[in-house]
Amino acid sequence: MFQPLDPLLHSELRLAVMSLLLGAEKAEFPFIMEQTGATAGNLSVQLDKLSEAGYITIEKTFKGKRPCTTCRITPAGLKAFEDYVEALKSYLHTDK
Amino acid sequence: MTAERSLEIIRESIEQSRRAMTKQSGRPMIWWGSLVVVFAVLIAYLWTNHGGPVWNVLWFVMTVIGMVGAKMMDRRREPLPKNIIGSVIGKVWSAFGIFCCGLGFITCLAGLGVVSFKALAPTPGYFIPITSIITFALGMASTTTGLILKNRVISICSVIAGIGGFFLALHFAGGEQLLVMAAVAVVGLVIPGIIVNIQTRK
Repeated sequence: MFQPLDPLLHSELRLAVMSLLLGAEKAEFPFIMEQTGATAGNLSVQLDKLSEAGYITIEKTFKGKRPCTTCRITPAGLKAFEDYVEALKSYLHTDK
Repeated sequence: MTAERSLEIIRESIEQSRRAMTKQSGRPMIWWGSLVVVFAVLIAYLWTNHGGPVWNVLWFVMTVIGMVGAKMMDRRREPLPKNIIGSVIGKVWSAFGIFCCGLGFITCLAGLGVVSFKALAPTPGYFIPITSIITFALGMASTTTGLILKNRVISICSVIAGIGGFFLALHFAGGEQLLVMAAVAVVGLVIPGIIVNIQTRK
């Protein structure tokens, strides 16, 4: 029996962002952009979606005179990610 | 998107994060390694030709220069996420720094006559092999870094430098010991740092 996959996480870019943030205390916007290969505009939109769902928090500060956007995963995001991986397993078991 | 593709993205992202950490570990190793080489050779020269072991005080100057330089490099480098890997590596090197500075400070006090040598080494004729101990500690810290980063080059070079340097330093006295320290820094820090840089540039 297939378990439903969280549509918010079932997107290449959002899943990559969540996976990057998984092992990190926090990560800055340029790092996420470089690692995912996404454009600034697209990444910004996807981060907002994750933030609206309560999966990540976005903090906007300044490093000297430069703006600095930092993202971190929330406990709700962590739980959603765990549930997503659990759901994935049901698809993999069926495939075999 | 298939389940396999999802798992692939998760695996790749986690791996990318680890690779980014490894990529930026090369430069600090080269920086600190080069500083140790320069100061070890300089102090060895001054110790032998101009006034004895008092020049070991320059190690503290090296620590300050090293920290200022590392801070400047941190500002210039690409932003890295704060994660458990970086945090553990930072703490390993902090522990190394605390032990070496502590040991160096106490032996300096003995050298200046503030603490008696008898209090440190009560057996007559016994000396504290400080270069061997620091070399061993450097090898351990560097090996731990290599194991955390799953980088075989760092680990192997560090084991050779740490254990080899420990025994080699016992065979030399005075300023000559510091040349062993310089060799250890080349094998344990500079060479692995350069190799990591080359590997991660590919």
